Amino acid sequence: MAEEMKMRATLQGDITDVKVRMNHIMETGARKDPKTGKLIPPHFIDQVVATLNGKTVLDAQWGIAISRNPFIGFKVKGAKVGDKIVVNAVDNLGTKFSGEVAVAAR
Amino acid sequence: MNQLRRTFLKSSGMAGAVMVAIGAGLLKSGEVMAATWNKLAFTSNNIADAMKNANYGGATESKDIVITVPDIAENGASVPVEVTSNIPGTTSIAIFVEKNITPLAADFEISNGAEPYIYTFVKMGQTSQVRVAVRAGGKAYTVSKEVKVTIGGCGG
Amino acid sequence: MKMNNSQLMLFVLAVCFSFAAPASASESGKGKKAAQLELKNPAYAGPWERYKGWPETSWSEFSTLQKIVPSPIGKTIKIKGSIEGDPKKGEKLAFDRSRGGSCLACHVMGNPIPSLPGNVGLDLSAHAIWGRSDEYIFNYIFDPRKTNPNTVMPPWGAHKLFSVEEIKDIVAFLKTQKTHSVFKDNLENPTTRPVPEETRDNLDPFVNEAMAAMEKGKELYSREGPNKQSCTTCHAEPERMFKSWAAGMPKYESCLRKVIGVEEFITRHARATTGDDFLMQSDENLALSVYLRFLTNGEPMNVDAKSKDHKLAIKRGTKLLNTKLGQLNLACVDCHTAEKGGNKWIRGQWLGEFRGQMDHFPTWRTSRSEIWDINKRFQWCNVSVRANELPPGSPEYGDIELTLSVLNNGQKISVPGIRH
Repeated sequence: MAEEMKMRATLQGDITDVKVRMNHIMETGARKDPKTGKLIPPHFIDQVVATLNGKTVLDAQWGIAISRNPFIGFKVKGAKVGDKIVVNAVDNLGTKFSGEVAVAAR
Repeated sequence: MNQLRRTFLKSSGMAGAVMVAIGAGLLKSGEVMAATWNKLAFTSNNIADAMKNANYGGATESKDIVITVPDIAENGASVPVEVTSNIPGTTSIAIFVEKNITPLAADFEISNGAEPYIYTFVKMGQTSQVRVAVRAGGKAYTVSKEVKVTIGGCGG
Repeated sequence: MKMNNSQLMLFVLAVCFSFAAPASASESGKGKKAAQLELKNPAYAGPWERYKGWPETSWSEFSTLQKIVPSPIGKTIKIKGSIEGDPKKGEKLAFDRSRGGSCLACHVMGNPIPSLPGNVGLDLSAHAIWGRSDEYIFNYIFDPRKTNPNTVMPPWGAHKLFSVEEIKDIVAFLKTQKTHSVFKDNLENPTTRPVPEETRDNLDPFVNEAMAAMEKGKELYSREGPNKQSCTTCHAEPERMFKSWAAGMPKYESCLRKVIGVEEFITRHARATTGDDFLMQSDENLALSVYLRFLTNGEPMNVDAKSKDHKLAIKRGTKLLNTKLGQLNLACVDCHTAEKGGNKWIRGQWLGEFRGQMDHFPTWRTSRSEIWDINKRFQWCNVSVRANELPPGSPEYGDIELTLSVLNNGQKISVPGIRH
């Protein structure tokens, strides 16, 4: 199985560029099962929090329009090489996902 | 933190304790997802209501928000949206797809040194304005750009 | 498909030594040791069933790459006087995408013109002032081959995509098209719309999800199979040994009497060596295929065009590329050569030429969240023109893959690719 989150954090000058790819179906609830014709129930990540050394830098809420296997890129000022970036996410069914990465030099 | 979340944290009576616990490294940050999901905004089915309910009502048009999106998206299931806000003091960035049944796609609050920048991919049901709204210094600003979603020739 | 030991024994009995293989570890100085291939069983999960989520219709009354069904061109249908169809109904039918793609896929028309029309065919927005008779228009839609033998336009009536009454409605709609097209912007106009350029970094795992398959392929390469052997057992340094191998695939395989690509080679060679059964279209097969092609990145495609067997394959492949297929009656060349529909827009999608289409397979399809190898791409082309697809690894796909690869020789490989 693929890991649930793939992360990279690269320091460029004094800005750390963070990329996160999560594995999630991101089902909208509007799609029909081609076999049964019934709507497939919604199943999507709805909250994402990113921290740098334990402090929240990004606190996001998502709807059904974020693409399958969601990607987010964000930037943080003031991080140093080796600092820890953690991302926690939870979906509408309460399943939790997390990933972490240490800031690396470019 | 938006009003809803603040209310939720207050009413839970836990906010202070949670903050302290994180500071002391007692909790994994996975356990801080205390905020309630803004159901009202995410289920609003027109752009005006979605913006109002996400706390971006009455936003002023601003060229200081830069959106990078393709003119034509070959695949409506995965449209790249890159946003930079050049408005000083930006605290949140929200992405809306005006013609989606529920326009609000995502709302990002940024703090503690995060730059006013977001890159993500959104689903678009059809050609639409992609609208970005930000909050800065307690005020809301917005800008939009059209993305044409390709319709396939023979069906794929 | 799981195999027991007796089945594996059968494999070993039905093994062929292929010279399509790269030099193995026992190679010393001169002479290449041939690779073993299992020959007895199909390389795909049989009996073949179309992929889940694809259209389920069977178009068995129309031609496939394997079976030609004659499609006679009928006589002109006489129409007395003018056609009194319903233009509103006709417009709806003309724009209906469920009938084999709407007229807008190839023509500019409508008031206002719907979003992103194509330009494979003529701009029909002022068609009503061309002075064509109703009989002429009716027959052109019913079966344009009567008037224009070289057309790429489907025979909408003769192939039963629309009924006679429906075509009359469409004629009535065309009679309302009296003003030359005006576009909202240069993106809407297919003659000024910029040609899409692929600029994504396909080797960045944050851009291309198929890079995870490359990693998986790399792992599988050194994972021991049921015979306690891995690829590493014979090919210890993949980066060196496979630097150009896949760039020379596909190849004619005399034991199988057909052309096989990287994917089928993986299935048959693994069965005969490690004992793994990596069926075509399985995740494992795709992962190894991505990995083996990834190792050739930057190398120019270099498929032999000169040997006798390959010359014959190219001859067969060229014929197949020109074969009219399916209910839409389209040949590969109809959409992918500049003389016909290539380098034009089919609705909002750009129809590329053959050259430039082969260097990135297997490729990540963002619209499907799947990795597609070249066989699956061919299968989708078949289904798109409403022709039944063939199982992966069919000899016809091999001939087409070889013919197209030769047309792409010199193109630098970049795998996994990423496309919409």
